[in-house]
Amino acid sequence: MHIQSVRRYLLQSNHNSHVKRIIVGLLVLAVFGFASKLIFAPATFGDLGHYRAKAILEEANLEPRLMTNESCLTCHQHEKRKHLKGTHKTVSCEFCHGAYFDHILDDKKIGTLDVKKGEEIRVLCLRCHNKEIQARPTDKIKTVALPQHLEEKRVRTTHTCDQCHYVHAPLEYVNLAKKMMRIKDEPEKEPCP
Amino acid sequence: MDVLSNGAVTTVSNFVFPNDLHVHWSMMIVLYPYITGIVAGAFIVSSLYHVFNIKALKPVSRFSLLFALAFLACATLPLLVHLGHPERSMNMMITPSPSSAMAGFGYIYALYGIVLVLEILFIYRPKLVQLQAGSAGWMQKIYTLLSFGSDNVTPESLALDKKIIKFLAAIGIPMACLLHGYVGFIFGGVKANPTWSTPLMPVIFLLSACVSGISGIILLYILTKKYRRESLNLECIKTCFNYLAGFFIIDFTFEMLEVFSHSYLRSGYHHMVEGLLNGPLYISFWVAQVFMFSVVPLFLFGWLCLTRVKDRLYILGTMVTSGLLLLQVLYMRWNVVIGGQLMSKSARGYTEFHPQWFHKEGIITAIILMSLPFIVLFFLGKIFPFWLEESE
Amino acid sequence: MGENSQTLDKERRDFIKKVLKGTIGGSLLLVIPAGLRSGIEVPVQIPGIRDQEYDLNKKRFAFVVDITSCIGCGSCCVADKREYKVPDYHYRTWVERYLKDFDDKIYVDSPNGGLDGYQEPRKDLDKEIRDTFFVPKLCNMCNDPPCVQVCPVGATFRSPDGFVLVDEKHCVGCAYCIQACPYSVRFLNPVTHSADKCTWCYHRVRKGLLPACVNVCPTGARKFGDVNDKESEVSKILSGPGVFTVLRKAMGTSPSLHYMGARREVI
Repeated sequence: MHIQSVRRYLLQSNHNSHVKRIIVGLLVLAVFGFASKLIFAPATFGDLGHYRAKAILEEANLEPRLMTNESCLTCHQHEKRKHLKGTHKTVSCEFCHGAYFDHILDDKKIGTLDVKKGEEIRVLCLRCHNKEIQARPTDKIKTVALPQHLEEKRVRTTHTCDQCHYVHAPLEYVNLAKKMMRIKDEPEKEPCP
Repeated sequence: MDVLSNGAVTTVSNFVFPNDLHVHWSMMIVLYPYITGIVAGAFIVSSLYHVFNIKALKPVSRFSLLFALAFLACATLPLLVHLGHPERSMNMMITPSPSSAMAGFGYIYALYGIVLVLEILFIYRPKLVQLQAGSAGWMQKIYTLLSFGSDNVTPESLALDKKIIKFLAAIGIPMACLLHGYVGFIFGGVKANPTWSTPLMPVIFLLSACVSGISGIILLYILTKKYRRESLNLECIKTCFNYLAGFFIIDFTFEMLEVFSHSYLRSGYHHMVEGLLNGPLYISFWVAQVFMFSVVPLFLFGWLCLTRVKDRLYILGTMVTSGLLLLQVLYMRWNVVIGGQLMSKSARGYTEFHPQWFHKEGIITAIILMSLPFIVLFFLGKIFPFWLEESE
Repeated sequence: MGENSQTLDKERRDFIKKVLKGTIGGSLLLVIPAGLRSGIEVPVQIPGIRDQEYDLNKKRFAFVVDITSCIGCGSCCVADKREYKVPDYHYRTWVERYLKDFDDKIYVDSPNGGLDGYQEPRKDLDKEIRDTFFVPKLCNMCNDPPCVQVCPVGATFRSPDGFVLVDEKHCVGCAYCIQACPYSVRFLNPVTHSADKCTWCYHRVRKGLLPACVNVCPTGARKFGDVNDKESEVSKILSGPGVFTVLRKAMGTSPSLHYMGARREVI
């Protein structure tokens, strides 16, 4: 009986009862919307600006995948002795070989990195040293044209670069050979900074 | 030709920044302003009757509101299809950025939706009460809900309703303008894109919205009436058509003004815009949007509005013109949204866009999305009678 | 050493936990990020960051690209792709090749963003070339970033230390920021479906490491450092008499990426 009377009261229609119901409905909607805006706003949003402040920390906490030459040369002592003395000392180990963390993870070796050989070496070397690409500043890098360079040095044109130039210290053995053979021409200059 | 991961096959002329090969806003973002434009335009038609008392528009005044609602109900779908994370779409409402031209859309859309629904419910209230009494079962429950459980249709109550309707229709006009002018500003506010960042963009969007909305109503009014073999109100069609002519002439003038000022001022990016319109967009802009769908309708307007034409021919003429103008607006959206992105920010080259049939944002999806409003409208018609009876 | 660093690690972790649970506001400024994976010999490339409290408001970084030093090897592009596993045909950084003929016409290309290097000269041009050079591109880290302005949800932002970052967990993927960026450095990552871009390797910087591209550049064409540190290379360069330009100055974005030796045709 009681419920019936409440229902009758709710459903009775004055000339403006529908307007009242609409206004109540809109207010409920607004309160609900405002509440969900507060509830669902992510934590730390707005602490530093209109963004999730924690996102800065999440970005900062990402793990690097590439390391530095020093990290590689900690183990690779032979390369360390050669690489740091030669003209390639500024070349990144990981550029030619791949990412550190594809090789070492938590002090354990997890994979073997690429060592370029043969024709791949030529492609890799020419990536920087190709004279045909004229956009390279000449004071920053020594460039050669192939096969003219090979012909000039009187070696077979099938030679790959690393047959004369040790990749980690490209001029070391060349200059040594010249010294031994008492070839008089100037020792090659180092263009790198 | 590279097959890129977004599915579009793209060829490249001159230099395009590597990341500019992708057209990120594709067909869904063409449909989005198209659909919201139709909403705004249709609403304007009903407001002309409800606010400005253009009596001749009475026969379509109710239909145009339902038409607007059907399209409004589907306006966010293309956006949801487009979003990389549709499940996070509510972030727009939860953390709207006050500096972003896009952030307000959720709120404006929701408020406009409320105004539109309320206006429809108030206008239909006497009818709904009448239908509630004459129906049973589920339909009766729906009608009870829609009339807010009130069957009071005393003159006192209806007078109150009338005031509220006038108020809703009045605030509806600036809101419809805001809704769509605002969509134009989403593009107009991108300073990195010289074809978008013009203050004319919101104006053009708004005017073309009116054009597409009125065209849609004329076409659908004639088609449904013909289908039901009911008589057409020629006076109403003529009034609609004259308004359409007015809106379209202003719209087209502004569209051409923008191209003209770009080319006359010869400022910074003029060569890129000119190259775009005369190059990749030549067919879709000059041939389609300007000649076939603008110049031809202008002549049709001249013929139909300024000379005496037989009624049957007049009706056929209005249908053809409205159809052409619906395509004009669609092409305009395409040329703005996709055309603008074909121009690389390198200012040295253009990318290409080829729509695909079965892509997530492809042609099939576009067709489905464009037919949804009509399905919604069909079901709305089951609840709300579109047309007034002679006595009303 | 090992034990010592372990306790330090633990303290640091506790500190972070405390900060994240509690009122993060002010204290976030001073958070030390999680350290590097243990046992690695890593030199300090940017002093004053690692194992120290990091005040977001006290740092101001700048990036300098020296066009006269770039040899177009693409080491930077390779490093970047490896550091982030960037999906194919999307580029956080790239290298462009400019050619200028005697009629002052400019021809630019960047095959695969320079990722495979420049092995061939341009074959499609039959012009005598007057000037030619490489231009590395990356995020400009604008002081007034249009991408941040337009993001509707606050998923991309400029941190107090001047990095424009993307909150990958909050991004809705609307691509508005991509449209707004005048430099086209942004893209929609097809894996995460969120906006993505160069961060100047923020995670490396916060560990005292140089950005991956700077670290691998063989000629020092890319330089990075704290401007507020008067001893840093970048600070010295920017205080010197060199001519610096920024890209698209008229856009009013005020980039923190400076170019040395950029010809006026560079866009």
